[in-house]
Amino acid sequence: MSTFVVAPILTALFTAVTALLLHRRTRLQTAASLAGTVAYAAAVGVLAWRVALAPDPVGATTYQVGGWPAPFGITLVADALAAFMLVMVATVGVASLVFSTRYVEAPEEKRFYHPLFHFLLVGVSGAFLTGDVFNLFVWFEVMLMASYVFVVFYGGPQHTRAALRYVALNLVGSALMLLAVGGLYATTGTLNMADMSRRLAEPAAYGISVEPVVGLSALLLSVFALKAGLVPFQFWVPSAYRAAPLPVTAMLAGATKKVGIYALVRLYFTVFAAAELPVSLPLPGVDGGSPLAFFAPALFLMAVASVVVGGFGAVDADSFEGVLAYSSIGQIGFIAIPVAIGAAASSPALRRLGVLAGLVYALNHALAKGTLFLTAAATRSAVGTSRLEDLGGLASRSPLLGSVFLVGALALVGIPPLSGFFGKFLAFDVAVRAEAAVAVAVLLLGTGLTIAYTTRAWNRAFWGQQSAAVGAADVDPVQAAVLVGLALTIVAVGVGFDPVYEFAEAAARAATDRGAYVDAVDPADVETGGESA
Amino acid sequence: MRTTARTVVTLILLVAASLFLQGHKQPGGGFIGGVLATTAFALVYVAYDLYFLEERVLGRELASRDSAFGDRTVGAYLRLFTVGIALAAVAGLAPLAFGLPYLSQTYVILEGLPVYHELEVASALAFDLGVFCVVVGAILTVLSVVGAE
Repeated sequence: MSTFVVAPILTALFTAVTALLLHRRTRLQTAASLAGTVAYAAAVGVLAWRVALAPDPVGATTYQVGGWPAPFGITLVADALAAFMLVMVATVGVASLVFSTRYVEAPEEKRFYHPLFHFLLVGVSGAFLTGDVFNLFVWFEVMLMASYVFVVFYGGPQHTRAALRYVALNLVGSALMLLAVGGLYATTGTLNMADMSRRLAEPAAYGISVEPVVGLSALLLSVFALKAGLVPFQFWVPSAYRAAPLPVTAMLAGATKKVGIYALVRLYFTVFAAAELPVSLPLPGVDGGSPLAFFAPALFLMAVASVVVGGFGAVDADSFEGVLAYSSIGQIGFIAIPVAIGAAASSPALRRLGVLAGLVYALNHALAKGTLFLTAAATRSAVGTSRLEDLGGLASRSPLLGSVFLVGALALVGIPPLSGFFGKFLAFDVAVRAEAAVAVAVLLLGTGLTIAYTTRAWNRAFWGQQSAAVGAADVDPVQAAVLVGLALTIVAVGVGFDPVYEFAEAAARAATDRGAYVDAVDPADVETGGESA
Repeated sequence: MRTTARTVVTLILLVAASLFLQGHKQPGGGFIGGVLATTAFALVYVAYDLYFLEERVLGRELASRDSAFGDRTVGAYLRLFTVGIALAAVAGLAPLAFGLPYLSQTYVILEGLPVYHELEVASALAFDLGVFCVVVGAILTVLSVVGAE
């Protein structure tokens, strides 16, 4: 019995239910919510330890929900990749929730904030752990339901407008995803990811044709790109991020967006890479004829466009969180570029390195952007505004806020010894090894833009004369403690990078090693009726 | 319309209950049953008005007609929703005590019942009851709050 696999989902679910039951007693509810978050982090810690971090890890572990064997029932799979993503989410989640206890204070706001926050965690954890394509769709919906409410949380006109855009886009996305999942079932005859991967590897044995998978996986690509906020599906990002409560935005940028990236890596590298097509794309740098090779150029173009659009948008934004929201678009591009190069590569080593670089960059982005969004939140609750033109001299009023912003911004730019340095370094490393001159140029341009917009935000908000609003600002001690904790985590990840690298490498190996994944799930052979080897 | 509603509401609730009970192996279950039961309440709302249930059926004084959120019926729907989700979650947890995976289920077959003669009662019924409560609670909350606007 490997109950630890399902533990993160259950912990978050029961915390959500408890918080809902206690919605009239706000103090008790906050206490339960905090305790639940700690329990969630502990459950994730145990999972990561058992699966990947322990000296003698058990590796990918499965859990058959309801006792139905794979591929009939829903299988939960905890492997190093899922563990890596969960640890990232738990870190940002704890910080964001502790911060929220001092940010969301009106009782009528609190009532449903805490249950929703935990439902968001349920959806995100479920998406990372599931080994079933349709179940992935369900977890996406759970996650989206919670984030819809968060976007419209304050109920003003601009929040409603942002939510309408967000809901409409995501409903289209969900419909497309359902269509693609249905198509995959019709084509391959299974929804279990491991079973699908096995069937695609030997299409003749199962009597399926692999060609439709290319088109269906392209539909999925657009859905996941929408969740991740890659150009050209980025336009919901700035308004939604500005509308949601800022600690939740830290979660949306740090965790929810990464679900899109995770789903791309999981489905393309672990499942669709199995298929071999008789044709291949006549493009430089693209080898082989799997759907992975078809997807690589598309993802690469989207990533490049994201870096450019996000970077220029951030330079032009007029509020603190506006800069950060556009910057998120650009940074997702930075995550996707090495993944796309890895997808195009034919050598397993380079493919793994691409995923590894993407994951390390994703971790850095989650930490740095989480810190920065919470800094913006602290600024807003201390100063009362986060418009850049009303700010100024924050660093002299609150040196702590200034230094935390500096750490977050420098991590975003990629200065050693912070966590961002290794993310950038690995991304450049992948681009150079693949001899992709365009990628190197775009990464350089993106870094330049990152320097430009962080410097601009620093100059406007933290440097110079104290503005009238800033002069009376005091930072809440609990908020400050959370910020310092996150900033120290960024430094710690950068200084003690070796274990993080090993964890990420295990995750990248788990993503690219199809055989091990299929063996771990070990779906029963439906066609022959016998047990699989 | 009110005349029809009087008969039809009872019928709807009966069909909803039977759909809910047979859901284990035949079409039906907590979700479908819940949606159908909701239509019975929606019919009452349409045929009479939004405050009929509270004023005439329950015989309570209305606090105000301005905001539905203060109504005790809406409060009750919210509670139903919460209890339902708690029930569903806990029902899934119970098998863990017997060393089985989350959401495992078993069943007993009851025989010699009137009308049904034979009915399969699955342990999943508790989970389904939770789903039923969530569906009824959530849809009626939405209906009455949005209806009051």
